[in-house]
Amino acid sequence: MFVFILRRIGFAVLTLLIATFLAFVLVHLSGSTPGGVALGQTATPEEVVAYNEAIGWYDPWIVQYWNWLVQVLQGNLGVSLIDGRNIADDISKRLPVTAALALFGTLFSAVLGIVMGVVAAVRGGAVDRGITATAGIMLSLPVFWVGVLLVYLFAVQLRILPATGFVPFNINPEAWARSLVLPVLTIALTAAAGIARQTRASMSEALTQEHMRTLRAVGTPTNRIIYVHALRSASLPIIASVAVQFIILFGGSVVIEVLFALPGIGQAMQAAVGTADLPFVQALVLVATLVVVVVNLALEFSSRALDPKLRAA
Amino acid sequence: MTVSTTNIVRVKRTARVNLRVLRSPAAVISIVWLVGLVIASVTGPLQQDLTAVLQGPSAAHLLGTDELGRDLLSRIVTAAAPTLLIALIAPIVAVLITTPLTLWAARRARTESVMSRISEIVLSLPGMVIILAAIAAVGTNMPAIMAIFGVLLFGALYRVFIGQAMSLHKQLYVEAAAVDGVKPMAASLRHVLPNMSTTVIVQFVLLFGAAIGVQAGLAFIGLGPQPPEPTWGGMIQAASRFIFQQPWMMIPTGGVLALTIIAANTLADVLSGGTAMPPPLISLRRRKRRAAADAATPESADATVAAAASTVEHEPSTGGLVVRDLVLGVDDGPDLVTGVSFTVEPGTVMGLVGESGCGKSVTSHAILGLLTPGLSVRSGAIEWDGVDLAAASESAMKRVRGHEIAFISQEPTRALDPMFTVGSQLTSAIRRLRGVSKREARDVAEQLLVDVGIIDPPRVMKSYPHQISGGMAQRVAIGLALAGTPRLLIADEPTTALDVTVQAEILGLLRNLVAERDMAIVLVTHDLGVVADICDQVSVMYAGQLVETGSVRDVLVAPEHPYTMALLAADPHAAVQLTGATHLASIPGQVPAPAEWPSGCRFAERCRFAQEECRSAVPLEPRADGVGQVRCIRRDEVRGRQEEWCQPVTSGGAS
Repeated sequence: MFVFILRRIGFAVLTLLIATFLAFVLVHLSGSTPGGVALGQTATPEEVVAYNEAIGWYDPWIVQYWNWLVQVLQGNLGVSLIDGRNIADDISKRLPVTAALALFGTLFSAVLGIVMGVVAAVRGGAVDRGITATAGIMLSLPVFWVGVLLVYLFAVQLRILPATGFVPFNINPEAWARSLVLPVLTIALTAAAGIARQTRASMSEALTQEHMRTLRAVGTPTNRIIYVHALRSASLPIIASVAVQFIILFGGSVVIEVLFALPGIGQAMQAAVGTADLPFVQALVLVATLVVVVVNLALEFSSRALDPKLRAA
Repeated sequence: MTVSTTNIVRVKRTARVNLRVLRSPAAVISIVWLVGLVIASVTGPLQQDLTAVLQGPSAAHLLGTDELGRDLLSRIVTAAAPTLLIALIAPIVAVLITTPLTLWAARRARTESVMSRISEIVLSLPGMVIILAAIAAVGTNMPAIMAIFGVLLFGALYRVFIGQAMSLHKQLYVEAAAVDGVKPMAASLRHVLPNMSTTVIVQFVLLFGAAIGVQAGLAFIGLGPQPPEPTWGGMIQAASRFIFQQPWMMIPTGGVLALTIIAANTLADVLSGGTAMPPPLISLRRRKRRAAADAATPESADATVAAAASTVEHEPSTGGLVVRDLVLGVDDGPDLVTGVSFTVEPGTVMGLVGESGCGKSVTSHAILGLLTPGLSVRSGAIEWDGVDLAAASESAMKRVRGHEIAFISQEPTRALDPMFTVGSQLTSAIRRLRGVSKREARDVAEQLLVDVGIIDPPRVMKSYPHQISGGMAQRVAIGLALAGTPRLLIADEPTTALDVTVQAEILGLLRNLVAERDMAIVLVTHDLGVVADICDQVSVMYAGQLVETGSVRDVLVAPEHPYTMALLAADPHAAVQLTGATHLASIPGQVPAPAEWPSGCRFAERCRFAQEECRSAVPLEPRADGVGQVRCIRRDEVRGRQEEWCQPVTSGGAS
């Protein structure tokens, strides 16, 4: 078990290194240089080169990457080329927004998706066909389009929710919650469809297992068979799909954050890419990969705890 | 035998992929939509009318106009070809990278482990963020972005492909090709790739849909092709800006995008053979009462059931199980069992014998209402304590299951829930069936385990089913069956999956249960040795009907039906009992499928004694010797001729 934990953590670190080095290479392949971006169009080429030389932009990549890593380990993600903001501070302010969006989106979609999947698998027939078709359509609808339609319905027509914008929790919890409803609803629809598909497949497979007959033969009530025994043996792939949806929601929140004007990680990414804010791009790739890696680790460990066969191994 | 009966319910999908696509209207519509968009896109003109901005649908502009007076229909259609064609790049790149690497890795374990690590890392990269970083590097160059997206898809795609490729590689013919000296890559291309083609195509179409979505998403946040070039994402973005002035603009712009992705996903669904799921093993919905299905109104149905129940009660109850003229069938399909009757007295063991596909297991499942959905009791009665279980309500069945009649199945290790410990499965059943506290249930469980011959109950209680042996699992399963102190045990091939020595132990245990607890057992088996060992009565089934019944002594020593004789001659344990038998006989042919049963004797096809008269229907008649019945028209002529089954049936063979 200890070896297993060490190995998984080592693997997670390797993934982080690869992702950030990839981002490093991409940043250097871009036509922009820090000097060009920071000094703007009024600067002379000499000034730009001098700026770049000062920050070591022309050093060998491996040296630069190493220097960046050392800074990161000290908690220093650098400053924005555009306005000199401290990137680490800025990200720590944005993280709660994206985290709330992804967390509530995942929770809502997990509840909706698991209910849909279980009902489809248990009821079968027309109910199943209806749910499967609905999930198929939910999965195909572009989120940003659904988002705009929801804004039109709830904000423009019904006027019960704010269209866009964000209020921090510590300023007004109620307004914070209201500002999150539409974004969460929007992203949860697609995620719920994915979870519903997985739940339906795992549940229907679980219900064909031989021990279902034994359970029925000793008089186990149907609800207990479905919700305790079948759902339990279907739980591992369902949990995995929920984790995948969390990762997708976290990384894919860009579109939603831009659409609803939420000051989160995704919005920062869109802005940083648009303005070629190179250290910001680099830092955001690090944060996004970190989230994926941590969620995957949590998934690995919880799967091991849940499956008796894996636990014993 | 369970396999053969369930095959009837689970329709195999063997239709060729292209046929499947052409037969599905949804798939044809999807293809027409995708191809039609591209053709219209290449041929359609761009129109602009600065005097008519932000208009709804009209004759001049079928889908209205945008903020610059541009015709929405023509812009949507114009954007289609670049969108779809550029989106193709992602799945092409993904498949071109993943397929060769999969084929390569599937052949070597070491390569595979490296490759799966790489795929895991790629899968852990935050895709959307990397794509945005790539846009920072290469700009809004969509083909390049789609190619990068395709590379990032390697992680997910490899996982889908490698499982199938590995199992295909293990197939005998692929290994045989390797032995024949076919070069490994050639073998992969010739034997593995064609069999993977459906998976590859399905994934290709799915990724195509995903790529269209990603492209539109990027355009929506302003990181796609730059205006004035028309893009779907860009148009939705424009529509969202003018949503107060002209909400209509949202509908055609997003609708086309949504329909296109739906078309791709539908196509993938149809290609992959649909999303059919296997039916559950047990019925989860409330049982449809047979009487209710026949009767016009529910009230009269209840009356019928009540009447049926009361007539049963008038008869002297033997305290045993009486099965009368039981007919089981596949819903909307053929009968599986036609008119089976037998009686099981308390404290006796009734063997239900026959080859695979004779209907023994379904008969045993029917007794406790455990039929797989799709199968049902057509007519007949299963009488237990004056109640007809075949027509009983779910709540009546609840009082019987576990309490009075218990069930153990063929595969002990799979009969227990792998996710729960033996102890928790036993105690929860005991608590429910005996209504005792958790602590008492634990004591009862340990005692039950001792009763079924388990040496170290505390350790076994803590174990999960995968941690104990098959023989021990069957003991636990029997202990579980005893949780409600039943009077009848239905045992469906309880020893088939076990080693010979363990078989003997389990049979000994069952024999003790009969002796000590006065339990009755219905034992389903194909093994006449087991029948000789433990049964008192035996019913031989063939093709869904009884062909011979009687006491074990009568049936095994003096069989009167040719099928029983044939079974005896083919039985490795019984063969020695036949005088002059030097080799093991085999019965030619196989049990006919339920839909193909002849109207006459169902065994006639395979019977060495069959004559023309066997083509007419044969009733069950009393045995010549002893109590019981036989279904053979030539019974008197064939009696005592069981040795002949040891000779090959076709003449001209060996002696």
